[in-house]
Amino acid sequence: MALRRGRGIATIEYPTGMNQGGDPSQAWIKVKPDGHVDVFSGTVDVGQGSKTVHTQIAADMIGVPYDTVTMNNFDTDTSPVSFGTFASRGTFIDGNAIAVAAYRTRQRLLEVASRMMEVDPEDLEIADGDVAVHGAPERKVSVAEVAATASWTYGEMIAGSGAWMFPHVEPDKETGECEPHAAISYASCVADVEVDDETGEVRVTKLVQVYDVGRAINPTLVEGQIQGGAVMGLGLALLEESYPYYPELSHRGPEFGAYAVPGMADLPELKNVALEDPDPVGPFGAKAVGEMANNAQSPAIVAAIHDAVGVWVTELPARPERVLRALDESRQPRRDGRRVIYDEHLAVAAVSTAENRAEGAWRFPLVSE
Amino acid sequence: MKAVGASLPRYDGIDHVTARSRFVDDFSLPGMLWAKAFRSPVASARIVRLDTTRAEAMPGVHAVITHADVPNNVVGHQEVWGIAPDEPLLAEHEVRFVGQLIAVVAAETEAEALDAVQAIELELEERIPFLDVRNAWDAGQPQVTPDGNVFFYYPDQPQRQIRKGNVSEAFAAADVIVEGVYRPGAIEQAPAEPAAALAIPEPNGRVTIHSTSQALYYSMDITARHLRMPMGMLKFVGGTVGGGFGGKIDTKTEPITAVLALKTQRPVKWRHTREEEMLCSTTRAAWHVEIADAVTHDGWILGRKTLTLHDAGAYMMTSAYACSKHAFHLAGAYSIPAVAFNTFVVMTNHVPTAAMRGFGVTSASFAVETHMNRIAQVIGMDPWELRLKNANRVGDSSPSRVVYGNPSTVSTLLAAAEAADVELPPDERAMTNAKRSGALLPAHLVEQQREPVTHPLVWRDNHPALEGGV
Repeated sequence: MALRRGRGIATIEYPTGMNQGGDPSQAWIKVKPDGHVDVFSGTVDVGQGSKTVHTQIAADMIGVPYDTVTMNNFDTDTSPVSFGTFASRGTFIDGNAIAVAAYRTRQRLLEVASRMMEVDPEDLEIADGDVAVHGAPERKVSVAEVAATASWTYGEMIAGSGAWMFPHVEPDKETGECEPHAAISYASCVADVEVDDETGEVRVTKLVQVYDVGRAINPTLVEGQIQGGAVMGLGLALLEESYPYYPELSHRGPEFGAYAVPGMADLPELKNVALEDPDPVGPFGAKAVGEMANNAQSPAIVAAIHDAVGVWVTELPARPERVLRALDESRQPRRDGRRVIYDEHLAVAAVSTAENRAEGAWRFPLVSE
Repeated sequence: MKAVGASLPRYDGIDHVTARSRFVDDFSLPGMLWAKAFRSPVASARIVRLDTTRAEAMPGVHAVITHADVPNNVVGHQEVWGIAPDEPLLAEHEVRFVGQLIAVVAAETEAEALDAVQAIELELEERIPFLDVRNAWDAGQPQVTPDGNVFFYYPDQPQRQIRKGNVSEAFAAADVIVEGVYRPGAIEQAPAEPAAALAIPEPNGRVTIHSTSQALYYSMDITARHLRMPMGMLKFVGGTVGGGFGGKIDTKTEPITAVLALKTQRPVKWRHTREEEMLCSTTRAAWHVEIADAVTHDGWILGRKTLTLHDAGAYMMTSAYACSKHAFHLAGAYSIPAVAFNTFVVMTNHVPTAAMRGFGVTSASFAVETHMNRIAQVIGMDPWELRLKNANRVGDSSPSRVVYGNPSTVSTLLAAAEAADVELPPDERAMTNAKRSGALLPAHLVEQQREPVTHPLVWRDNHPALEGGV
């Protein structure tokens, strides 16, 4: 028995927004007479912190302090459409809709301030809650004064609305040709593991993860996505399985006691790096990090297991039983001329042969043909 | 001070960790009824007899609903994309998976609702389930749907397919052909907060629904279809959810509680038990991916053929979407000039599968990256070098012919090597994401080179979306 160490790498890409587009988001913003800003969009914060990110985008786009902005996403009577919190679209697509609404709110503040100050709107700028004249920062009024004047003196409202959508595309039936996404994020992962060659247990000792997120609107929340994704990636690489005898139905785990998700004790040393290569379309250059954060670990871990003990486990999760079986069988790929054929026992051809098929029936186009 | 780029504390973080945030299950109303579900005990059966009479007469019971109570019982989660609806909210003449909803009780207390569920009588004619996607077209297999076990994207073409370049030439020119099979399993989204809904009938005929959905408008659309009510008659309340990971796109608790609320004219709450969450709600799909790559001794990937079978489970949910999305990512972060990808949605008697973090792409990334590591082993090349050579660069094009404008495969790889203290040779360390040239532009990659175009939706001050008034 020995603990064997191994290292594996993986590099991935992931799209931002729904595949084939067509998933709109909308937002509207009003400014209270005291200058406080209310943002409305039918988004859902699933715990990733979208309310925070959206508030940050609105604050900077308008030019007001973050703590004067409130995010309202609690019902569909007051908040306009967000297609949903999925497809890694929250920061990018919801965020762009909010940025557009905030830009228009800012234009309205400038219009009203221009009347108050008798200065052309083009000569004004908004920052830190003040509207000031370019080059003459002492000539300024606060956003609160502008909002109060609009409400009580001019009898006007300061508001802005906006929407954003990557238009729907249909792939070509024959070739699949189309541009299916608004942006792509990239990541690389290095996994270090220890494999017990007697018990088949795999312990991930370290994950190095690098994500290009375009722009980290909130670096702590980006780090949270990467850490949370790593834990989920460990689960799908090593532990979690809805059908332990897939495709058979038996022994499904009905509660956490019988369905293993990673715990803190499973957590390896994490070294996370966020690169910022701004996206030309995303709000402030941001693109997605949410979903992709659980995609790179499993191939890196499987490669590390191979590096450690010389076997490939390509059915996930790589639980101890699968690792031990692979060690026992120590399968080698079949070589046939130029072909190197792994996993023949798992392929469609292993269970669905010509004799099984009805005459003239459809068949899967095998990659070996 | 700029907010963007600052690690500001999470908007509702303190409320969450001090248990002051209010989630759906924290809301209760006077007169509220509790719902409990009666579900299929088997994976495939014809329903011979369903009798709720005894349950209806149980103490505290206000309603027992079956499919006949749902104004529009069969609705699809992808109707908005033109995929025909196939999933009954409550089973009609058959059940196709363990845990499928058959009837739901609303009673004064959870215990009374549960007692009534146990009094529902069901007679089934059990059938053999179909479980292994690889047998989808074999003779004599059980049929999951009246239309067979494989979904058709087009009347004469079941698969989503991607074709680019000359695949036979690529395979003829290969030094080595590496083949492998990758089977990531089904897993549970496992959010801390199970799905829950509270539907309240309003005096003006509207229905307010407190929802754990991670997509309020999307779930409201599905609920409105089931109820045959305009969306405007519904008000969804939510927006703060205890984890979703894709599982809370599945919209069941909202229409069920709404039907019960309208029938009883009482507020009705239903929350999944952990067992229901684990056993009866959607999972991430299991996938079967086969890859064959045409490779040269010096580490170029000339061509790739793939076959994907996506285990959709018993109803379509969002599988056609996922399997299509999957197809676009089977080249991974690399430039492969000749590809033939075939991806199939296969129906089985597993619990319907639906969204989970990385939807459709997690499986592709696992398959592609494990295959890359195998290729490195077969040709005896360092896996970093293999990746850095083939990594997509500005001006390369994707399988669906998207021209990469700002890929960062090379930069993330180099940053990962540095962070992991991996010593790469100087020529690799000097690589960038910039357009290919010289030794990095071999003959087989010339034809797929394009000039990156400025994206029409680029964010700028004079963006068309910014024009116009409020």
